Amino acid sequence: MREPWPLVALRSSAMRALRDPGPLAVSLGFYAIVATVLATLWRIAATAHGGAIVGYSSAQFVWYIYTSEAAVSALNPRQIELTGDDIASGAVAVELLRPASVVGMRIASELGRSLPRLFACIATGAVLATLSAGAAPRPAAALLAVPSLVLAVACNLAAQHAFAGAAFWIRDARSTWFLYQKLVFILGGMLMPLQVLPGWLHALAGALPFMAMAYAPARLASGHLDPQLLVVQLAWLAVLAGAAAAVFGAGERRLQVVGG
Amino acid sequence: MTIVVERLTKVFHGGPKRRRHEIVAVREVSLSVGAGERLAFIGPNGAGKSTSIKMLTGILIPTAGSAAVLGMTPWRGRRALTRRIGTLFGQRSQLWLELTPRETFRMLGAIHRLVPLELRHRVDELGALLAAADLFDVPVRSLSLGQRMRCELAACLLHRPDILFLDEPTIGLDLLAKARFRELLVRLNEERGTTIFLTSHDVADIEHVAQRAVVINHGSVIYDDAVATMRRRLLSTKLIDATLERAAEPPRLPGVTFAEVTDTTLQAAVDTSVTPIKAVLDALLIALPVADISVTDPPLEQVIAEIYAMPAQ
Repeated sequence: MREPWPLVALRSSAMRALRDPGPLAVSLGFYAIVATVLATLWRIAATAHGGAIVGYSSAQFVWYIYTSEAAVSALNPRQIELTGDDIASGAVAVELLRPASVVGMRIASELGRSLPRLFACIATGAVLATLSAGAAPRPAAALLAVPSLVLAVACNLAAQHAFAGAAFWIRDARSTWFLYQKLVFILGGMLMPLQVLPGWLHALAGALPFMAMAYAPARLASGHLDPQLLVVQLAWLAVLAGAAAAVFGAGERRLQVVGG
Repeated sequence: MTIVVERLTKVFHGGPKRRRHEIVAVREVSLSVGAGERLAFIGPNGAGKSTSIKMLTGILIPTAGSAAVLGMTPWRGRRALTRRIGTLFGQRSQLWLELTPRETFRMLGAIHRLVPLELRHRVDELGALLAAADLFDVPVRSLSLGQRMRCELAACLLHRPDILFLDEPTIGLDLLAKARFRELLVRLNEERGTTIFLTSHDVADIEHVAQRAVVINHGSVIYDDAVATMRRRLLSTKLIDATLERAAEPPRLPGVTFAEVTDTTLQAAVDTSVTPIKAVLDALLIALPVADISVTDPPLEQVIAEIYAMPAQ
């Protein structure tokens, strides 16, 4: 039985990540600290604000933050920079010599690498959120948050590759990494639910793909049973994957690799 | 013909936008390579070898000229072409560092649509051919460079390519590993009929692997001939470096020029078409108290200088 290469790439990378538990433990520790601090701040704020802010109770905030942080912590934070460096240095040239999509292979491999981290963060986050704020506000919605988290990671990876593809033109994708990260933090709803933002910014964030990368699963985990969020994520994944493929396709045609 | 190249040219544009300057990496290169041929495409650093190989494999789009590899235009049908060619870059690994070669082969097998049974059969076959079966389960990062290159070779042979493009595959290898690698390439060509297109700036790669040599310098082909002819005309010189235990007068031998002689060291250039290298070594070992001696090929720059000095044909 012939296996499709994206599946083999995904599995190999996941196995590779599991075989080296050091980086996994570090990112998990970092996630637990950052998410706990942020969740505590929002819980205190909500309590001080009469028990809720923009419709989120203190318990819902806790579940929201542990989920949004998990969606982002599962990824290598410097993925754009690393991919950009591979393009600028010409290392990507070797990948062009395989009869497979370069960007597809990269996204599949990175997704494989991120999934063990994601599931470790989900398990840790669920335990910490339960200890801190009690059981998930709405278990059915929390269950939907699991596939939504996988979609969030996939959307984020596709978007990162579309951004990193800028290195085909500007040779240094570091600046795009910095900008991208801030967009996910704020417009993606990683630091706070989008409803906290001023009206116009909330509307803008809702129309941008960053909401699929943290807000969507966090909104579900915080007890809002909105299955259409998964549909929105799937749509954004198709758009972002298409954008990444288009950027790489155009970039590959203008690749300049001098020397060996 | 397996490869047909007509006036292939590549110009890079470098520098900041306002002061753009052009670098002609490859200038109107024309050549053809027959099926099963072993061709060395040689030149010093910056001559245009790697740029040429990148155009022939479809990575780079030329500025002008045409190329057909296995009947396909590489930069238009790159993905289809990669199913029929193998590529090995000495300075860039195609193996995943954190995986074992066998795991990489599994990935490459899926990419090349091999069923697991066929993949296992091919991996076993390559393990035997390259004497590398015991390396396939060692993480790539733990392999020596020579071992890694054998695994790289296995990786690019997995789909049984018709042509093997090798870009400086022996760079960084020690003498023994180089010799072994060259033997493997010749065996591969003889047993499977794989066309070998090898770039190198190591003169020994030409002598031990290729049947034909094309020399490129400053982006242009300056020499194209059979290695046997090249050997006779250009590669007949060998260099000897010797250290002596005590001062001694070197013997006078026909075809031997002593370039530098001190009390305990000597350097000589030997024209092997006049006196075979073995005869010179025998004479030196008998006549002198030799503590250490080595024989090397002249650097490629010297060969190129001789090409330019040759009368036009």
